[in-house]
Amino acid sequence: MNNALNTIYDGLVRRNPTFVLVLGMCPTLGTTSSAFTGLSMGLATLLVLMCSNAAISVLKSLIPDKVRIPAYIVVIASFVTIVQMVMQAWMPGLYSALGIFIPLIVVNCILLGRAEAYASKNNVLLSICDGVGIGLGFTCALTLIGIVREVLGTGAVFGIQVYDSDFGALLFVLAPGAFIVLGLLIALFNRINVK
Amino acid sequence: MKSTLRNMVFSLTGLTLFVGVALAVVSLITAQPIADAGRKARIAAMSDILPRFDNDILSEVIECEDGIFLYPATLEGVAVGAAVETYSDDGFSGRFSLIVGFDSSGVLKGYRVLEHAETPGLGAKMSDWFSMAGSRHCVLGTVGALSLSADGGDIDAITGATITSRAFIGAVNKARQAFDNYNTGANE
Amino acid sequence: MLAYLSIIFSAILVNNIVFTQFLGICPFVGVSKNLDSAFGMGMAVTFVMALATAVTWLLQHYVLLPFNLVYIQTIVFILVIAVLVQMLEIIMKKTSPSLYAALGVFLPLITTNCAVLGVAIIVAQKNFDFLYSVVYAVATALGFSLALILFAGIRTQLALSDVPRSMQGVPIALITAGILAMAFMVFSGIKL
Repeated sequence: MNNALNTIYDGLVRRNPTFVLVLGMCPTLGTTSSAFTGLSMGLATLLVLMCSNAAISVLKSLIPDKVRIPAYIVVIASFVTIVQMVMQAWMPGLYSALGIFIPLIVVNCILLGRAEAYASKNNVLLSICDGVGIGLGFTCALTLIGIVREVLGTGAVFGIQVYDSDFGALLFVLAPGAFIVLGLLIALFNRINVK
Repeated sequence: MKSTLRNMVFSLTGLTLFVGVALAVVSLITAQPIADAGRKARIAAMSDILPRFDNDILSEVIECEDGIFLYPATLEGVAVGAAVETYSDDGFSGRFSLIVGFDSSGVLKGYRVLEHAETPGLGAKMSDWFSMAGSRHCVLGTVGALSLSADGGDIDAITGATITSRAFIGAVNKARQAFDNYNTGANE
Repeated sequence: MLAYLSIIFSAILVNNIVFTQFLGICPFVGVSKNLDSAFGMGMAVTFVMALATAVTWLLQHYVLLPFNLVYIQTIVFILVIAVLVQMLEIIMKKTSPSLYAALGVFLPLITTNCAVLGVAIIVAQKNFDFLYSVVYAVATALGFSLALILFAGIRTQLALSDVPRSMQGVPIALITAGILAMAFMVFSGIKL
């Protein structure tokens, strides 16, 4: 049990996929114009990562070594497609807000990376925990970036107004703000981890 | 498992077949909800911008001209107005589409922006800017063609987003034109 | 003709895929340390993106749509891209060793470049015709190359400057990219 918790903590802090490993930057920049969309994108990725890790861990003995990468891609892509269809059916608003970044979860390097580095070598329970840990790390990172951009840009957090939106610097909601906020947050993480 | 050719072919084929069937099942389950979701959103938007109606509004669509659609609304068989789906290509970043509601006497009752890619915080404000009651930029309750105050009319543009505002007013005027054509045709 | 000029202009400058659509960021940050590799990566992406878009367009319109199989679109597209990249690598190695020497190392990286899959999906969603799709793909890839080469030029200068320790590497690169994105905002709203 301790082992499982450790795996989760590892993904959340010590090897945070966004701030420490700097993986999956496209959705990190593209879907964090508000805290809510960042959180949703994180959770969608978490769900796919958890399922694909579990499935790959189950299937690992059945997949010949030389074709493992295409097999992993098929597994990941099918879970992504399922998430896509379910969101389209029951969360249409969110689906159109996240747009093309939902099918693009397939090429998020975090997923293939975890399949290769972890799920193909560990048992199902640990692989699920790894998925949850890394997925939570990604979700927290996206939500944090979303909060910072939304607060600086529009003066709100999760749509709740903190100060008047006329004082917001619109730049942070737009493309340049995404790059700058992510850069500064990674620098902050570096600073904390060094100490 | 050993990477013999037979193993590789079998495992990949098996995996792909399994995944294909699984996805087919999920797509069958979600097909109806996906279709309903689009319909529901549209009907909800129309209920907000039209007087009360009870007809199956989406099935009685009339195409006025390329890309402009008119949905007549009736209550117990009596015409109460119509919703017009219109668009503009003159926005800041590509086409946006909206739906405008008129009552039977031609008063603009409301609008909903359906899809747009305008800049957040500037052009994107059009979703509520033109419906703020009591402001100098409210289009609700108007009966004639509109124009921006910058162009000699009496609707104030969104601060910092004149291009979007002009495109928006243009799209609303197109909807008004389509509605007037339909309405005079229906009354004669 | 004007329609094609307009799409080229818009895909390279107005809707630059890196600075406004956030696709292909990983190679943008990863392969921009020097000008030569940035140029090589840009050319490799242009080549693959044009080819991948053409093949996925044909699949979409002659297989997926007629047989109602759009729900396996994502799987088919990513596999097509992976296979194309592999084949390209083998063919290039056999027929043109010099081209392979220049672009070969970048090819495996392209499979997970989300810009390639992204463009294939955008083209399918927007229902462009065949020629328009390929022109759009090439122009988008040129926009990507432009961003990459500009950025590599800046980073070679940046490598010589004294940056605070926790800002070194990715953080300062991202902030620079942000400023570059601001410069690209000047094109927004321009129509041809």
